[in-house]
Amino acid sequence: MVSNAKELAGKRYARIMAAINLEEPDRVPLRGFGGDIIPAYSGITQHEFCYDYEKAIKAIEKFLTDFQFDWAGSGITGLDGRVFSVAFSEYPDIAANTTFITGPMHDALGDKYYRYPGREISEDASPQFIGGTFMEADEYDQLIEDPVKFVAETVLPRACRNLETPRQAMATMVRLGVEFARYGAAGREIGAITAKLGYPSIPMGGAYAPLDIIGDFLRGIENVLLDIRRYPDKVKKAAEALVEPIVNYALSYKQRGLKWVMIPLHLNEYLSPKLYKEFYWPTLKEVILRLADEGMKAQVFFEGRHDAHLETILELPKGWGIAYFEKTDVVKAKKVLEGHTCVMGGIPMSLIVGGTPEKIEEYVKNLLEQVKPGGGFILSANVGNAPRETPIENITALIEAVEKYG
Amino acid sequence: MLEDILKNIVEMEEHEAINKAKEYLEGGGDPQKLLEVCRDAMGEVGKRFEQGEYFLSELILGGEIFKGIMEFTLPKIKSGSVQKIGKIVLGTVKEDVHNIGKDIFKVFAEASGFEVIDIGIDTPEEKFVEAVKEHKPDIVGMSCLITAGVTSMKKTVDKLKEAGLRDGIKIIIGGGRVDESVKEYAGADAWADDAAKGVRLCKQLLDWRVD
Repeated sequence: MVSNAKELAGKRYARIMAAINLEEPDRVPLRGFGGDIIPAYSGITQHEFCYDYEKAIKAIEKFLTDFQFDWAGSGITGLDGRVFSVAFSEYPDIAANTTFITGPMHDALGDKYYRYPGREISEDASPQFIGGTFMEADEYDQLIEDPVKFVAETVLPRACRNLETPRQAMATMVRLGVEFARYGAAGREIGAITAKLGYPSIPMGGAYAPLDIIGDFLRGIENVLLDIRRYPDKVKKAAEALVEPIVNYALSYKQRGLKWVMIPLHLNEYLSPKLYKEFYWPTLKEVILRLADEGMKAQVFFEGRHDAHLETILELPKGWGIAYFEKTDVVKAKKVLEGHTCVMGGIPMSLIVGGTPEKIEEYVKNLLEQVKPGGGFILSANVGNAPRETPIENITALIEAVEKYG
Repeated sequence: MLEDILKNIVEMEEHEAINKAKEYLEGGGDPQKLLEVCRDAMGEVGKRFEQGEYFLSELILGGEIFKGIMEFTLPKIKSGSVQKIGKIVLGTVKEDVHNIGKDIFKVFAEASGFEVIDIGIDTPEEKFVEAVKEHKPDIVGMSCLITAGVTSMKKTVDKLKEAGLRDGIKIIIGGGRVDESVKEYAGADAWADDAAKGVRLCKQLLDWRVD
């Protein structure tokens, strides 16, 4: 069993790496998804899945055993916590722990960024990031002057009920440290399980687009978009100031031996090409390039429609990483990025939720005919979270269709 | 003057648009006419969005300018004298706590002359049913951002059917994760993943009502 698992993992790893290296693998690799379907499949609530790691690990094991993707995309739920990583960016041993904020970490912090099941929302609701406004428009100068100080000492005490006073912060940090250890241990346990099941290990750290830190965690999405018009120079300078702490945080993963960072984008589809190129892309590009200089690759999730900005990806060095698309037409993206960037995506989650096994097979067949030739493509659902009502037979149909036509 | 205001809104010149609108009213201008001009401007912003010239940031800023002008214009218009083209009950579906898509749509729908009854976020199916009974809308708009919202939409449509209300209304779903197959799965009449398209489709849904 163990040697079989090793062999299987090796085969899958080679398949994924061939695609990343822009070669044609033995078959198109299929990236897995997870999310709400995992607790539902095991009959536990979202609350249990987010808070009871023992139950969560069992549920993940069951899901990964029954649905064999090439690349496991399941873990214990955490929501983007990059603002905390910026605050901790001077401490590489700490910064990496806040890439995702889990339910128990959310409890410790008492933050206003997230909504967790059994806390602010019902026990069976999906955990959600909501963000908010924790910085005023007239505070840009402080952010520009010293972004780490401003985030750590001004923003976070506003955004977290349990960081409001220094004495509260002392207790909160101790609790948070305990949760880091528990989450880390759970992660290692899941790592051992996935290895046993024959999944390759491609651990990913995190980075972020500088302007998204401002939009998601400091000013709020709508405000930052208005700020771009009202105070363009300040917004630009603030994004530039955030490059350094984000790179420092991302490099803390290098020290842990990781070679990848994951960067989910949020404001990309909100911006016209003109605004994207002026306010968003230069600093994101700098983060990716600085990490590439250090030998790290990035998997960037281009949320929403990235069609208008596709060509800018060609400004990055060939083989820089993986471009994961949500609503961008992957056939078109692959044509634009052929021989330069590995493209991932292609399966609308709505098809897996609302389609039939026949429809899914037909869809996969058609899509693969177009994207398989030439390699450099990883098939994946367009979002990583499958709703709890996702029909099981549709997941199986997807895996079988890839076996057949990949 | 009104022409300048229209141009300022469409070109995203926030300060100029708001200042000129104030000046216009202070000089004895007709608030009803100003409202119409602002609506036309929003229609143009939506059109440019659908043509790919404008992006979400322009929709949001356009909405902000519109709201800014309405703040001091609407109180000057006699209530009841503003003609509404239709009524929409609007909410983010159960278990989804996001409001950004709903709120952008709401501004554009109102700017197009719809009366919008906003029933909030994380809205249980029963609340949609009650709102339909109470307000008798032409259209029900459901918004979601997260993938879980897709199944909440289906359940809400089912509840409206059970209550015998489905035939009297048109249903449009909206949000980042909806598409044609979500529309079919949920049993809605139309879908949109942006506010401009959503409002355009709502107007079409009204025409179907007349048929």
